[in-house]
Amino acid sequence: MSKQKNVVLKLLIVAAFLVLLIANSSTIISPIRTKLIDVMSIPLKTLHGLCEISGRIIPFSSLKEENKILRARIDLLNRQLEESKMLTAENQRLKDILGFKNAAAYSTIPAEVIGRDPSNWSNSLIIDKGALQGIKQNKAVISMRGLVGRVLELGRYSGKILLITDPNSKVSSVIQRNRQGGILVGRPDGKCKMIYIALDSDVTRGDRVITAGFGSVFPRGILIGEVEDVGKDPGLLYKYAIVRPSQDMTKLEEVLCIK
Amino acid sequence: MYFILVITLVIHLTVLDHIRIFGSKPDLMLIPVIFFGLFLGRGIGLEAGFAAGLAKDLFAIDFFGINASIFALIGYLAGVLGAMLSRESKKTQSLLAILFTIMSMILHFILVSVFLNRINVNFGEYLASSIIPTAVYTAILSIPIFAKLQDLFNIRSSEEYF
Repeated sequence: MSKQKNVVLKLLIVAAFLVLLIANSSTIISPIRTKLIDVMSIPLKTLHGLCEISGRIIPFSSLKEENKILRARIDLLNRQLEESKMLTAENQRLKDILGFKNAAAYSTIPAEVIGRDPSNWSNSLIIDKGALQGIKQNKAVISMRGLVGRVLELGRYSGKILLITDPNSKVSSVIQRNRQGGILVGRPDGKCKMIYIALDSDVTRGDRVITAGFGSVFPRGILIGEVEDVGKDPGLLYKYAIVRPSQDMTKLEEVLCIK
Repeated sequence: MYFILVITLVIHLTVLDHIRIFGSKPDLMLIPVIFFGLFLGRGIGLEAGFAAGLAKDLFAIDFFGINASIFALIGYLAGVLGAMLSRESKKTQSLLAILFTIMSMILHFILVSVFLNRINVNFGEYLASSIIPTAVYTAILSIPIFAKLQDLFNIRSSEEYF
């Protein structure tokens, strides 16, 4: 009987504690979480380093073949770079003639990913840089391949990034080809869904999706991903598109935080 | 118990994202919670569930307390079922892993829907793209993990093969 009472008491304590925590989630918990992650950032960084070292032990026999492929790719990229330089110069000349202003450039702070979200619902990353290194809350985070997310919680030495694949993430976006706008939301399976696309728009598979630049968080023109599928929910007056992010979030090791 | 939970949390935070299949990763922290409930009783299951969920809440961006409450409930239920079922059977263990993973994810969806006025994912999509793959993945991984934990806690298995 006393054992049963003990269990009931434990249940009651747990329930009371949880009600209190959930009710005060944003005011009490956020600073505690960021402080804890600040403290944990050192062991997390060490563990991340160890994982990286173990991942680098690869069979050397494949290196020769890989080297050959990479050299061929470098030649191709060099040619593309030259073409790109010519096009940039031409673009600048035409902009000068038309009197266009250049888009505001942004500077970035590189940071290393040291931890990932343990939940199956949310999608976030922990980085090794915080407020002391100049990272700012609610600023966009990108990678070399495209948009990653935004800074959600910020500690002194670490930060938490809300990925664009998180169900709570919303990004105003446009289809690059036809400038059709929509809102990009995250899905738990690691993809995104672009909603509120006009019914008469000709969005097709393979279209590139970029940021629209509305609001102060995401600069304009950052690549998000490619349309994988287009559909329409019954009863709604809009189309939707399933977007595969250009950056595979599970393989992300370094990010660039926009200042 | 706490040492096992800490090891599981570290794996969750560091390497688990690299072994996603169809965009889903297993709910590794749920497996020891079910184990502790099944074999050490509902009180320990509740305690383990609460601790594991709380750790998850600290590192995730969820509403704080959601994982702690769901995992505590699952630890407790595993303890209740452990007294009624043949808990040494591998079939029972895998079925419970599927059942509890589905239950935890559905409860999570319901609680998030209660706290948020609007969520961007509909239940059908969530079920197909996340709940089912995660439940199957967790159940498959639960077989070797349960066997290892049984060895660690000196609990004999009733079936050699699943």
